Amino acid sequence: MSETIVKSEVKVPDSLKICTVCAANNNRSMEAHRQLRDAGYNINSFGTGNSVRLPGPSVDKPNVYEFGTPYEEILNDLMSQNNRKTYEANGLLHMLNRNRQVKTAPEKWHLNSYAGKFDLVITCEERCFDSVVDDLMYRLGKGQSENEVSKIVHVINIDIKDDNENAIIGGNGIVELVNMIHEFRRNNKKEVDDPSENILEDQMMKILTEWQKNHSHLQTIYTVAYY
Amino acid sequence: MSFTTKDILNGLEQAREAGFNDPSLFPQVVRQVLNFVTNDDILIKYWCSTFLKDVFESDTLKYSDKVDLAIDTMESLIYLSNVEDLKIFKHVIDIAITIFKLVFQFVAENDGCEDVWANLNKLKMSLTSKFNGTWPLKDSDDEEKDRFRNLLSKIELIKFIIVVIDYQTYSNSNVNSFNCRMVNINHSLIKRDAIQAEATSLLNNLLDIFKNDVLVPPLINPVIIQLSFLMKRKDQFVTKILTVIENFETHEKLQSNYQTIEEFKLSRKYVDRIIRIFLIHLQKFKLIPGDFQSSMNKKVQVLIERGDEIRRKNIVDPSPLDENIKKVKFTGFANFSKKVKSLEYKDLYSLNDESNQLNFDLSTLPPQVLVTMIMTAMRKVEGKRLNKALDIVSERYKYALENQEELKNKRIKLGMDDEDDDEDDGVTNYDTKSVYNLPPPKELSFQEKREQINMIIRNFFKLSETNIKEVEEAKQEEGINKELTKIAIKHWEKKSWLVILTRLATRGMRTIDSNDHSIDNDKNSELSDLIRNALMDFFLENIHARIDLIIEWLNEEWYSETVYNELKTKNEIKLKYMKEYESGNITDLDYKINEEFEKLDIPTPIYDKWSTKILTSIIPFLEANDRKIFIRLLSDLPVLSPQLVGQIKSLCVDPVRSKLGFLSIQYLLMFRPPVKEACLDVLKQLSEIEDSKEEAEKLLAKFSA
Repeated sequence: MSETIVKSEVKVPDSLKICTVCAANNNRSMEAHRQLRDAGYNINSFGTGNSVRLPGPSVDKPNVYEFGTPYEEILNDLMSQNNRKTYEANGLLHMLNRNRQVKTAPEKWHLNSYAGKFDLVITCEERCFDSVVDDLMYRLGKGQSENEVSKIVHVINIDIKDDNENAIIGGNGIVELVNMIHEFRRNNKKEVDDPSENILEDQMMKILTEWQKNHSHLQTIYTVAYY
Repeated sequence: MSFTTKDILNGLEQAREAGFNDPSLFPQVVRQVLNFVTNDDILIKYWCSTFLKDVFESDTLKYSDKVDLAIDTMESLIYLSNVEDLKIFKHVIDIAITIFKLVFQFVAENDGCEDVWANLNKLKMSLTSKFNGTWPLKDSDDEEKDRFRNLLSKIELIKFIIVVIDYQTYSNSNVNSFNCRMVNINHSLIKRDAIQAEATSLLNNLLDIFKNDVLVPPLINPVIIQLSFLMKRKDQFVTKILTVIENFETHEKLQSNYQTIEEFKLSRKYVDRIIRIFLIHLQKFKLIPGDFQSSMNKKVQVLIERGDEIRRKNIVDPSPLDENIKKVKFTGFANFSKKVKSLEYKDLYSLNDESNQLNFDLSTLPPQVLVTMIMTAMRKVEGKRLNKALDIVSERYKYALENQEELKNKRIKLGMDDEDDDEDDGVTNYDTKSVYNLPPPKELSFQEKREQINMIIRNFFKLSETNIKEVEEAKQEEGINKELTKIAIKHWEKKSWLVILTRLATRGMRTIDSNDHSIDNDKNSELSDLIRNALMDFFLENIHARIDLIIEWLNEEWYSETVYNELKTKNEIKLKYMKEYESGNITDLDYKINEEFEKLDIPTPIYDKWSTKILTSIIPFLEANDRKIFIRLLSDLPVLSPQLVGQIKSLCVDPVRSKLGFLSIQYLLMFRPPVKEACLDVLKQLSEIEDSKEEAEKLLAKFSA
């Protein structure tokens, strides 16, 4: 029952390099990943947890996998368990089925240097935001060659409840915000009274405030950091 | 042969490819490219900055080559750092970070290279000095606003400043990168105390951001993140940094006039979160010394509780606590646009909120009150603020000058004619039915009229000096239309000014209705005489070249006076016979008028006066060989009175010019029969004078028959 991964094609020519981050790189970050991919953005996704933890037969018995375990494999494993009905009912199988069409396996944020540097990191939980910023602090000056110059990265947290429905709503909100940022970058070719109006870093707080007003249920945190 | 930007960019692109493909060529290519940095075209400058960034970030070059290139690039980089372009400046900062590291180490290892060290310091100064401003953007009208402007450059500059601090201070902990401790303690250029002092002051400058009364998360957060790095390397700064953090409290900051309350509340949340992450990060790395432990733990606790509290509520919703938020005192201008919307003074000078304009017309105040107000305001205003205000106005003025046409068009498009403006100005009781008249113009005093006439005269003489391209006469129509279309000036020609000026003096100053003896008329003739005198003086300046002018003027003078007087005389006769005509004594009024009119001579006293004046003035200056112009004048003047002819007498008795005099008389006798009697009279008088007797008698014999 192997389905091919829909090849992610960057249809937005001026897309920033974006990634979404949640704990297990399965639900929230993957739903947002899918939506952003469908919208044509250059997108990756990661998890900040120590391992991939998915609901199990009971709260104290989660299903735990290593990052890098293909979604296909996880899906097969869950299907082989006795609790298949539960996993079907709580949407777990549906989620993994979606994931394997997006990419091969969950990836760990802390080991993602192979993916290059991102311009925009969107985390889906405050804990993940903390973890990403903490890691960026850690990375500063570590393992950098003398040639390497750190670059600016915008890190935004959008707090999304970890369930199926909220992942979709959160994903919609993320796409909207990403659209707003790209729209701003496209408009900034126009002549303005003050060039500051065209600088993303100067206007990011205004963009976020505007977005926040329309998405009061999706709380935000934001920082500029170095990568 | 000059190359276009496209040509140069193509060439550079090829060189780039060659360089990146063949490491042996690379240094040479880079040095060639450096020559293009100062090219006038910003596109080429930008290309160079991108190229240099790629060069110093690439691993293609050998370390030694890279160091050499870094040294050679410094001057170009200093130049580029002063180019007013944000994209270039951003690249410059990144390049400078690599170059600073390479060159600093080079100097550390090679004592005595003063020039290299001097350039490195120049580069460092050029960048660090720009951190507190908004370079490459121009400062705005308000310092508070500038704290939120061009954060991009500041965020980038933080990286550079941290590198400088890192390299210029020793590290206690074991680091595998450069450590200032390794520099020879007796190095002649790198003086430890001096460079460390400089680094400390750079750090102090960064930490000053925490003392600002406003919160700018995109600036303060990256500083905090960089401090986490610095604290790991430099334990000598830990106390200093933690003291600043200890005293920093987002809830003591003020809302800026350039952020909404929602934006301010979010700002506090965002900064609080980064402080929390920062402190927990420090705890994890055991970087908080004992004496800070409890205060920092407390701070983390406060921040966690505050975060949880915020999570439970919708932060952008109004809350009773919002009342505690205080705003920074506003020192900017509500209307700071440097582009005017229309060509009106209101738009040029207004710095206040347009929607909040006081509906009060200051111009209704008496001047002395206004002066007092202005003096008081000038005394109270801060010099810096006044300068900013004047800057805005001058920028608007420049913009208006540069975009005049566009602004005019805009007005037309928007239908903003003057009447509309009046409505905008608050004339609310405008009634479309009533007819509004402009107030009648103020009557000019005689003195003012004189001044105006003198100005007109000066302008016309100025016109006489300008060269005008001759317009070819269009072919005239035949028949009756030819006469109908006859006008004095069809095209503006070289001599057109004279036609207008002479007519102004003659026909322009009186009408047939005016009473000849009224004060007005006297005054007007005085004004006419101003013009006449000016014309005469003009003629006398150069009688030989300006004879045509005088003939034309005197012809106009005679013609207009004759027409005027004829009409006047006819009117007088008509008035005389009107009663008889009405009572039936005269049947044909027109015939009667013409009959009477025919008997009369129409006097032209003005013409007589001025033609005499002209002749009296020029005769003394005529020379023996001025035959041509004098005879021309005599033949072309419309009427020669016996007095005028009499003036020739003085020429005939002058032994040097008697020939000219007699020739003129002879000419008149032959060609101007109406003055024959007058000429013969003159000859008779001359025949009684011994010197002219012979010649006079000769002519008398010939013409008196």
